[in-house]
Amino acid sequence: MIANFGYRPHQSILEKIDPRARWIFAFCMLFSIVLFWDLRILSVFFVITLIQFFVSKVTWQETKRAWIFILVLSSIMIFINTIITGVETVGGTIRGGTPLFSLKIPLFETFYVLTVERLWFALTQYLRIISIASLFIILPFTMDPRLYGVTFKGLGFPDKLAYTMDLAFRFIPTIARDFNVTLDAQRARGFEIDKGKMNIFQRIRRMAPLMVPVTMNSILAGEDIANAMDLRCFGLKKRSWIENLHFKTGDFVLIGFSILILVVSLYLRFGLNLGDFWMPGMS
Amino acid sequence: MKKSLWSFGTREVVFAAIGAALYGVLSYATNMLQIPGAGNVAIRPAVAIPMFFGVAFGPIVGFISGILGNIIGDLLSGYGFWPWWDLANGLMGFFPGLIYLGIKNFKDTSDILKAEGMVIVGVLVGIGVAAISELWVSGVDFATTVSMNFIPSVTTNLVNGLILVPILMVAYSAIQARSGR
Repeated sequence: MIANFGYRPHQSILEKIDPRARWIFAFCMLFSIVLFWDLRILSVFFVITLIQFFVSKVTWQETKRAWIFILVLSSIMIFINTIITGVETVGGTIRGGTPLFSLKIPLFETFYVLTVERLWFALTQYLRIISIASLFIILPFTMDPRLYGVTFKGLGFPDKLAYTMDLAFRFIPTIARDFNVTLDAQRARGFEIDKGKMNIFQRIRRMAPLMVPVTMNSILAGEDIANAMDLRCFGLKKRSWIENLHFKTGDFVLIGFSILILVVSLYLRFGLNLGDFWMPGMS
Repeated sequence: MKKSLWSFGTREVVFAAIGAALYGVLSYATNMLQIPGAGNVAIRPAVAIPMFFGVAFGPIVGFISGILGNIIGDLLSGYGFWPWWDLANGLMGFFPGLIYLGIKNFKDTSDILKAEGMVIVGVLVGIGVAAISELWVSGVDFATTVSMNFIPSVTTNLVNGLILVPILMVAYSAIQARSGR
């Protein structure tokens, strides 16, 4: 098993932007998107996230797995929510409505009615979920993992927390190698993950011969690392980082744009009371 | 050395990083191994790692192992970032960590039962927070999030945690004796 990240340089404009500015943009967009149920406003956000996706130069092949995962999951959720259960989230807004299809449920002597409003609501939900997904799916493919520590330090995280992130990323290759060695060693002893018919409890228990040695070895190594860091007086002074980040004009523009989006969204939602569920023909 | 529930020194920094890397790599590895026979419900035995790190090293280590480990696992698998589910994983490590000072002997049945109790609390609160966030983010109704998010996730995480955390605790008691901590 080779544990590597999805990141590879794409030489895109997005990668030239400071990662701190990109995180600010992502969270301002997230908090703005979730304020609205109006398809027209959500379409604007969708276009912005789509532009970001295309500018990133990330290919479909790279992100296929994530997209399939999110599309399947959201389709099931929206199907159950919209078609089967009652769509309670926007409550009275779409109760009743124009019937599109009805079916008599024999046992309960009642009718199931699919309305046009429910379908529009499903479409709105899709647009909202896909917009959020496009925001976050591309991050691991366009952000260098070596910069996570310094990025979060730059965003105001405490030194020790940022260093924990940095250290965690550095441990990954060692732990992946240990896992491989353990897996090979256990297989040499006749260990099989899937051995005939087993119930779920037995299957989970069978992971113990893999998880226990890897975890315990890492803990033992951790004791040595902690001692070595203590000997070097870790945490007594402010840390310096190998990589340094500096905001450029473009980064300030993106941060300004992000804040503007959030402020406008908050004003539309709470100042003008706009952004509830909308469909054509609705005032 | 006197233990403190909320300290975050060198040892905690190292073990939070190790916990996160272990959770991330083991999630990815068990994903690749594709445990069969589980239908469409993802079974991640590695979720026991943040729970155990919480019990063994405190709530802050458990929380960081969970939140950062889930981010790493998703990064390695290429699933992007899902902040509210990352938070849920953090809470699953945080709550077992609250029993950290109460664990005297990792092999002792009563101590294991205490940890199991906190694992249950952690899973219920953590997944509860993520499921409630889905109401807000995805706009699904309560029945949908309960049936789609809460029940499947709680079931699989509880089964994983309740089976694997005691195994890890017993194994750790030997390590603890060896390292003299």
